[in-house]
Amino acid sequence: MTIVQPSAGGAPGRPSSSGGGLADVIDTILDKGLVIDAYVSVALVGIELLTINARIVVASVDTYLRFAQAVNRLDLAEHQKGLPELMQDMTQGVAKSKTKGIAQGALEAAGEKLREFAGEYAQEPAPRRRRGREED
Amino acid sequence: MARSTPSATAGGEAPHDRSDAPAREPGAPPSDSERATASYVYGILPGDVELTPEARGVGDPPGEIRLVRHDDIAALISDLRPTRPLGKPADLMAHQQLLDDVAAEVPVLPLRFGAVMESPEAVVRELLAPHHDEFRDALERLEGRAQYVVKGRYEEGTLLREVLQEQPEAARLREQIRDLPEEATWDARIRLGEIINQAVERKRDADTQALAEGLAPQCVAVVIREPTHEEDAAHLAVLVETDRQEGFEDALEDFGRRWEGRVTLRLLGPQAPYDFVTTREA
Repeated sequence: MTIVQPSAGGAPGRPSSSGGGLADVIDTILDKGLVIDAYVSVALVGIELLTINARIVVASVDTYLRFAQAVNRLDLAEHQKGLPELMQDMTQGVAKSKTKGIAQGALEAAGEKLREFAGEYAQEPAPRRRRGREED
Repeated sequence: MARSTPSATAGGEAPHDRSDAPAREPGAPPSDSERATASYVYGILPGDVELTPEARGVGDPPGEIRLVRHDDIAALISDLRPTRPLGKPADLMAHQQLLDDVAAEVPVLPLRFGAVMESPEAVVRELLAPHHDEFRDALERLEGRAQYVVKGRYEEGTLLREVLQEQPEAARLREQIRDLPEEATWDARIRLGEIINQAVERKRDADTQALAEGLAPQCVAVVIREPTHEEDAAHLAVLVETDRQEGFEDALEDFGRRWEGRVTLRLLGPQAPYDFVTTREA
């Protein structure tokens, strides 16, 4: 599981500008750009690529449970919640999830949670949003 | 890391730029070193550029970046000894970093990650020469244009409050599961999450559309990308005229202010125009 350094956050109202982390790179260079096979037939060298795919969002039971948990924790009276508290909540959510057999991955650049599934969820099609794994 | 130096076409190459040496006689057998080393291809660019020496490529150790030229176009390549699978984070970052650096200076047609050919000569013979006119035309169309990626992410608290206000059933289910253990409220939680997810998808569609339409007047073209996270508000790639970049950024900042506290916008780029090159029919 890859951990990506957070990119610099922008001031409110002003978009932050950056080169992007590994996650952004994966979104771009793995399924965008010219495909060489369409131009070259003979002199191609087949090379083994690590199994990395662009991230996709697949709505799943896990997504639903996460949203339900987030809205359950939501304090409707408190409208000015700071980021540190949100991060803390996220961590607590992780700890609770683990008791249900969900192994938590790493925090990604934009605060995305990467997840893998284990135990009782093995029956479900694993909706990993990002499969940035190295197998070597 | 290319610099547009139209004056330094033929005389400016570094001595190590072997690729500009006359090609091997057709039909001659490849030497041992050529058999062991392949050419990783990053992209295609105008021929009148030269490289800065610090550019590094994919592989371990990273291959030295070179240009192979044909007529007025060139391919950006590096030697690669295919001893291990490619695709470590450093490889991916090197591919994009190199092309983005190039794209900041000159037009470039980026190849998808993982393009490897037998030799520099094969790159000229099979890639550049047969498709020269097509590549040159595409490069001309990209002159003075750069790609940016715009990503918007909902602020979760704001997002969920919006949904609870707009979806009475969600608010009711929230009360139902309130402070009860997950095991006891399984079905209600799944139903609640499903309602929220559907509401978020509708918001994403609407916000993506609004952002795309708001930015379009400042852009040559806009591509709507798939979301990469369930709380994504928008994911766009845009092609912008370099001399209209300020107008584009102003338009984006308008959205940043309008969505303050609700959506966090990120701007990535300039980068190579991955979303605006079209692979011809195979």
